[in-house]
Amino acid sequence: MSDTQWPRYEVFQQETPDRPHRHAGSVHAPDAEIALLNGRDVFVRRPECSSLWVAPASAIFGGTAEELAAGAPPTGDVSGETVEFLVFAKVDPRGTLTHVGQVQAASKRRAVEEAVHACGPQTPFVLWVVPAALVTRSEPGEAAPLFSPALDRPYRDQAFYHIQTALRRLRQESGG
Amino acid sequence: MKPGLRSPLAEALLALADDELILAHRDSEWTGHAPILEEDIAFANIALDELGHAALWYRLVADLREEDAERYPDRLVFHRPAGAFRNVRLVEHPKGDWAFTIVRQFLFDSAEQVRLKALAAHPQASLAQTAAKILTEERYHLRHLSAWVTRLAQGTPESKHRMQAALDHLWPLAGQLFQTLPGEAILVDAGAWPASPMLGIEWQAQVTDFLTGCGLTIPARTSPDESGRQIHSAHLEPLLAEMQSVARLEPQGEW
Amino acid sequence: MTSDAERLAAFEARIAAGEKIEPGDWMPDEYRRQLIRMISQHAHSEVVGMLPEGGWITMAPSLRRKLVLLAKVQDEAGHGQYLYHAAETLGVSREEMLAALLAGKAKYSSIFNYPATSWADMGVIGWFVDGAAILNQTMLARCSYGPYARAMIRICAEESFHYKQGMEIVLTLCQGTPAQRTMVQDAVRRWWWPTLMMFGPHDAESPNTPTLVRWGIKTRTNDELRQEFVNQVVPDARTMGLSLPDPELRFDEVEGNWRFGEIDWDEFWRVVHGDGPCNRERLGARRAAHDDGLWVRQALEAYAARA
Repeated sequence: MSDTQWPRYEVFQQETPDRPHRHAGSVHAPDAEIALLNGRDVFVRRPECSSLWVAPASAIFGGTAEELAAGAPPTGDVSGETVEFLVFAKVDPRGTLTHVGQVQAASKRRAVEEAVHACGPQTPFVLWVVPAALVTRSEPGEAAPLFSPALDRPYRDQAFYHIQTALRRLRQESGG
Repeated sequence: MKPGLRSPLAEALLALADDELILAHRDSEWTGHAPILEEDIAFANIALDELGHAALWYRLVADLREEDAERYPDRLVFHRPAGAFRNVRLVEHPKGDWAFTIVRQFLFDSAEQVRLKALAAHPQASLAQTAAKILTEERYHLRHLSAWVTRLAQGTPESKHRMQAALDHLWPLAGQLFQTLPGEAILVDAGAWPASPMLGIEWQAQVTDFLTGCGLTIPARTSPDESGRQIHSAHLEPLLAEMQSVARLEPQGEW
Repeated sequence: MTSDAERLAAFEARIAAGEKIEPGDWMPDEYRRQLIRMISQHAHSEVVGMLPEGGWITMAPSLRRKLVLLAKVQDEAGHGQYLYHAAETLGVSREEMLAALLAGKAKYSSIFNYPATSWADMGVIGWFVDGAAILNQTMLARCSYGPYARAMIRICAEESFHYKQGMEIVLTLCQGTPAQRTMVQDAVRRWWWPTLMMFGPHDAESPNTPTLVRWGIKTRTNDELRQEFVNQVVPDARTMGLSLPDPELRFDEVEGNWRFGEIDWDEFWRVVHGDGPCNRERLGARRAAHDDGLWVRQALEAYAARA
């Protein structure tokens, strides 16, 4: 048996329920459940988070505007039944990949076309599509055990330490 | 709260606090040595949670004994001799291999959940609130540990073998978790504590179900070691010697 | 058909305009190579950096110190994780990066090849090492490569807690008993020069710097960052009554800088090349963790394969 660091899962984090999920990074995990749990431990050490999504990196298709324009075909793309794809796009050169909506398509290539079309006149800098069925989402009912413990860790917050006050007092005590 | 119950309640909570502290200490020994980076992060989180729980219980003990809530917990942790600790022997054992650590954590966290659910309904507000807060974190622990127990117990022949060996070693020790706690008898009589042996029956049924469902075998029942929490294994003294070494350099000092 | 020269010009124009380069964008091979080198080294440093501090969690002298140190070391693992991710977006795998580290072929920050021999080291490491890291990382947060810049922003936000918890320990000890003051003064004496070495060779001896500056990876030189660090630390050391092991330290009124003595470059290169006090121990620990964890990684993969 070979030794690997497990496959990668991309992680999308939603800070508050009224904002879209944004790409946070990735974790290595053997399967979706461990990916969700690891995603929580890696990305939700500090508040705020209301929802976490993970998807195998291998299930995501997309690229930069340049790559998509060049028409690089997705690997293993089969035209099948029409399914839902989640779409993530980076529309600001300084921003991150953000969940912008869903499209219905029968293949990854078609999903990208639909997504670009749906984005309107402004071509996104980067676009990702992933079959919704392959995205694992944290359950709303599990939000408390997953996300609220991070609220209880004041010592992680640098505002909890009053270093400048202490140094100022020392300077005064030593007379200058 | 009836005055006569404060002292036994403090004793019972001290036992819970000591369990969390010693287990957290063992868990923290994995930082930088876990099987994969994500587990360094995940297990450090578990250790942090357990240490936080210990701190919460020690604070309640301080309140009950009318001691300084800021200073008394550290005095309990860093300046008691081994003989004064009231943790179970299960948590003293060195961390072992990853299977040993996972099985121990699973047995402990599942036991904690059973007890905390009962305590979350306690009439004394600060106790109930503390239990409820800890319970939220424990639900996450159990989800994490259950996922790991399932996967290691059914992964490869080697992982299954290691998991069974760990369970064989730990199962007899786990029984001590539900022996009557220090101070418990008086509290139970007054209707102020959920009796441990009853909780133990519930716990044993739950974990037996889960572990056998994973393909593991529960070791045959041996005569349980009834020696109380004041009796410790040979592991506790060296653990405490290390844990208390710096604090004891300046026992009255600020650290 | 655009030539490489045209592509390079367009690439450099994007960087000059402050745009971020993202995974999948065209980039010169050298840009990719330099970034993989820098980012993976940075990731390895975080992970190896867990070891000197991780060893002191069991001896932390109060519940609060124990909690905080454990949280700090957990953060470091998390930082390693973000950085490996950033490197992976450039096409290198974590398996490759780890193999290079464990074979002794990859570099990591030499500061972690020094031993942490007293509790006071936990304070001084936060004050010096994390203080130095903050300067470096604040600069890198403006880096032209998107994933690295974003990882740096996350890391910077967390690093400031690391620095402050260290300062809190130092402040407590230097106002404590004579034995505590001696302990922290000794730690300062041992960590000062290695921390200055963290900023790397003098600019003149740093061949990569001009390219890295042109491509928006570095925006400040080694010597600039090192001088800023010294300027920040010396006044605080004086306030706390701690002396730094440099007889040449003096304030230059004209330049507004604290001038300092020459680094022992022999020691620097010895430690960089693997002959520091703890190099073997650090790598040994990482190898052991990796080897001991093999059956675990394989078990979870086997389970997933059957599911």
